[in-house]
Amino acid sequence: MAYFARRFAFFLATLWAAVTLNFLIPRLQPGDPAEAIVSRIGGKGQAVDPAQLEAVRTMLGAPGGNLFEQYVRYLGAVFSGDFGVSYSYFPYSVTHMIGEALPWTLVLVGVTQILSFVIGTLLGTWAAYRRNTRVDSVITLGSTFVGTLPFFWIALLLIYVFAITLRWFPERGGYGGGSSPGWNWLFISDAFQHSVLPGLALLITGPIGWIIGMRNNMVQSLGEDHARLAVARGLPERRIAITYGARIAILPNVTGFAIALGSILGGTVLVETVFNYPGMGRLLLESVSNKDFPLMQAIFLFTTIGVLIANFLADILYGFLDPRVRKAENS
Amino acid sequence: MTLLEVDQLSVTYTPRDQPAVRAVRDVSFTISDGEFVGLLGESGCGKSTLGNALLRLLSPPARIIGGRVLFDGADLATLHTRQLRELRWTNLSTVFQSSMNSLNPVIRIREQFADTFAAHRVTDNVDTRAAELMELVSLDRRVLRAFPHELSGGMKQRVALALALALRPKLVLLDEPTTGLDVVVQRSILDRLAELRQELGFAVLFISHDLGTVLQMADRVLVMYAGEIVENRPAAELRSDPRHPYTRGLLGSYADPRQPEVRITSIPGRTPDLSVSHPGCLFAPRCPYAEDACTQTHPALLPDHGGLVRCLVAQADRLPTTPPGPLTGATVDPAFVATGGAEVASISPGIADAAGTSSAGAAGARSPNAGSGSLSAADTDEATGAGETAAILVVHDVHKRYTTRKGLRTNTVTAISGVSLALHRGRVTALVGQSGSGKTTIARLITGIERPTTGEVRFNGGGDGDGDPTRVDRLRGRALRDYRRHVQMVFQDPFAALNPTRTVAYALSRPLVNYGGLRGGAARDRAAELLESVGLFPAGQFLDKLPHQLSGGQRQRVVTARALAPDPAVLIADEPISMLDVSIRAEILELLADLVRTRRLAMLYITHDLLSARLLADEVLVLNRGELVESGPTAEVIGAPRNDYTKLLLDSIPRL
Repeated sequence: MAYFARRFAFFLATLWAAVTLNFLIPRLQPGDPAEAIVSRIGGKGQAVDPAQLEAVRTMLGAPGGNLFEQYVRYLGAVFSGDFGVSYSYFPYSVTHMIGEALPWTLVLVGVTQILSFVIGTLLGTWAAYRRNTRVDSVITLGSTFVGTLPFFWIALLLIYVFAITLRWFPERGGYGGGSSPGWNWLFISDAFQHSVLPGLALLITGPIGWIIGMRNNMVQSLGEDHARLAVARGLPERRIAITYGARIAILPNVTGFAIALGSILGGTVLVETVFNYPGMGRLLLESVSNKDFPLMQAIFLFTTIGVLIANFLADILYGFLDPRVRKAENS
Repeated sequence: MTLLEVDQLSVTYTPRDQPAVRAVRDVSFTISDGEFVGLLGESGCGKSTLGNALLRLLSPPARIIGGRVLFDGADLATLHTRQLRELRWTNLSTVFQSSMNSLNPVIRIREQFADTFAAHRVTDNVDTRAAELMELVSLDRRVLRAFPHELSGGMKQRVALALALALRPKLVLLDEPTTGLDVVVQRSILDRLAELRQELGFAVLFISHDLGTVLQMADRVLVMYAGEIVENRPAAELRSDPRHPYTRGLLGSYADPRQPEVRITSIPGRTPDLSVSHPGCLFAPRCPYAEDACTQTHPALLPDHGGLVRCLVAQADRLPTTPPGPLTGATVDPAFVATGGAEVASISPGIADAAGTSSAGAAGARSPNAGSGSLSAADTDEATGAGETAAILVVHDVHKRYTTRKGLRTNTVTAISGVSLALHRGRVTALVGQSGSGKTTIARLITGIERPTTGEVRFNGGGDGDGDPTRVDRLRGRALRDYRRHVQMVFQDPFAALNPTRTVAYALSRPLVNYGGLRGGAARDRAAELLESVGLFPAGQFLDKLPHQLSGGQRQRVVTARALAPDPAVLIADEPISMLDVSIRAEILELLADLVRTRRLAMLYITHDLLSARLLADEVLVLNRGELVESGPTAEVIGAPRNDYTKLLLDSIPRL
């Protein structure tokens, strides 16, 4: 139990550090964001009117008081989910923009990540179970080959074949013109149609890392003495493959998977850009190109928190899967 | 009744891009019901490959290319996988060498028993059966609830033994079952094994390189060399009258350190390359009795003196009858033989001292590669009086505690408490103890890698004895670096101690450049001299070799040469022979003894092996749990131990 308590304490400490860094970094930068906005609104070369500046400050809710007061207010705002107003989507708040984009990414990337991990682990296990046979060669060589293809090329190929040539699926966007977001059948089926191609692109490349990792780990654990002893003991092949191979081989992948899940919140910039998908990745890209600091900052914070939570969950899971870890930390 | 019959079994390794290696060559032998058979051989002789072939656990590129393994009439080598699985463990079980890895790390011990029972449809209650088995190997039944990492090495190996006996097999194959465990633990496991065999009546094939253990435990011994069985005879006869020259060599490399006169020899040369075919006897190039016919005709394994022997000379009854005396090489110079002979003649109990290795000194003058070496510990009339010379290095009342921090809790482990010792020029001090007793920590304190928590380490000058001693425990930075040239290490694992991508010349030039200020050609010339001083002739042949092109013994010589490069006053040898084959250990010991004598080095010889301590050391310090429990002249400590722990260590050595 001490193991889990320690992991949780560690999680809280890193979370605090991340939130605090997120507060400090912009404040250590030179320049005044309000001035930047005013000069952008007014165009280059125009003098900045102090009244305008004041108005923008008020509008943005620009911070007053000393650094400590700001910090206390910032912490309060973060925990109540208030990240201020987006510069580029004024007058929408940052929270609103993220709320719009997050479900798209969570569903598309979340589902494909989980599917990739499951498919990759199964294929890797199968390849290792049938190591040095044709099945192994096909899986290993096949995934190595696909792994060398650039992701955007696969995405463009899918668009060309299935959207432009065959016209089976829409080529871009999250949903069509005829539907509006909501819990109605028209919208859900339309959103699903739109998610097929980006999802497929992610599913083609996603499992490769898991396949190779799982296969190699498992071949290694099957070569170890305890697995050879299991063979000598006359255990059924399947039991050896699962308990003496896969069960041990999956351990490092669990950590990798948790980190991959954590980074979902940051979106997948490339796929969302290619398919013009209204998720977090595209939002991040736009916030960067528009110098929308509040939005950027919030997305970074979200990503960090996501990775931290995922790592925490991975640690917990690892504690259950690998008895050695629990022990090592306790002794 | 014959239980296992191995008939003309051959195994070949066929790696990609490399020539095939015939690791097991037409091996035939039988094991009867309840018989304890030892399989003795050095690393690379094919004994483990043979064991794996019997269990049908070979994995590519190794493959059985011929022969049969008949077990109760069924041929294990060709049996269908499904039938084989039925036979496995119920007939033939095994315990592997590595106690670290032979249990699944992520499931509890109980599950590993449950697995075994389930696979063979044993319907008894798992917990009851498993608890009974735990009792058999003298373990608490609570161990069943543990994960493997929660157990010590010895406990794991007991669990492995219990697992091997789970289905009451007829034959248990033990592949180096206690190698890597402490001698005391080793002893208790082997004793339990012998008792269990009495109780349960299973047969054993015991694979090991440890001659003492095999001879003590086995009814019959198979000696394996270069993939072949060279001798197959009852243990008692093999010990009293070894017939194969290789067996004679092996017996010569072992001795009981408790004997009043201890003497070991080495076998010159190295094992043949098994990827090429040899028309004659595989041992002929190293054999002192080899005749012309031996290089032409491959001998068969034929009945001889109540067993089977693969040697033309033995079969023709032309073997000299001098066993188990030193194996004298054909190229040995007469002077050496004379020295050796004289020494054997002067046997009498007494105190061994540095001069007791005078034969080693004589041997060291020639190339140890060319002939066989011999090392003995016996009294001589020559008193060195080394005790009177001032100590060059003094460790005074040293304590070392390690503190580990986990959050707010701290955990203190005492590695060394109150150890004092002194090293003298020209003398060897052996530090003996089990793993974890703090031996290596002392070495680290002396070399200044770590500092003692309390206590002093004093070094008395770099040769000229310039006044005040250096306080090693206070040195930093440049002073520490300067100090280190005087204290050098010979490491345990010569494979790991050399950078595999650098040549011997490079390895030797580093200390020469760093400490000696030599450059280029000068460093190379000096490196060549160093190689010759450790018996690698001609040095030019070795300078540009990479470590993997050298044998284990040659590598250890290079490591030693590197330690000598800065011309140190103190040499710390941490288990320098434990990774080497037994047949060449005497050679390296002889080299070390010679260096101590000719260079007047002070040596700290760290070991768990009392035999080598007896041969090499003037003085023995016994370390237990970080404390010195006994110290004194070697022959006194080993001949008449006073401390219980020392007695326990000595009692763990097999008596022949």
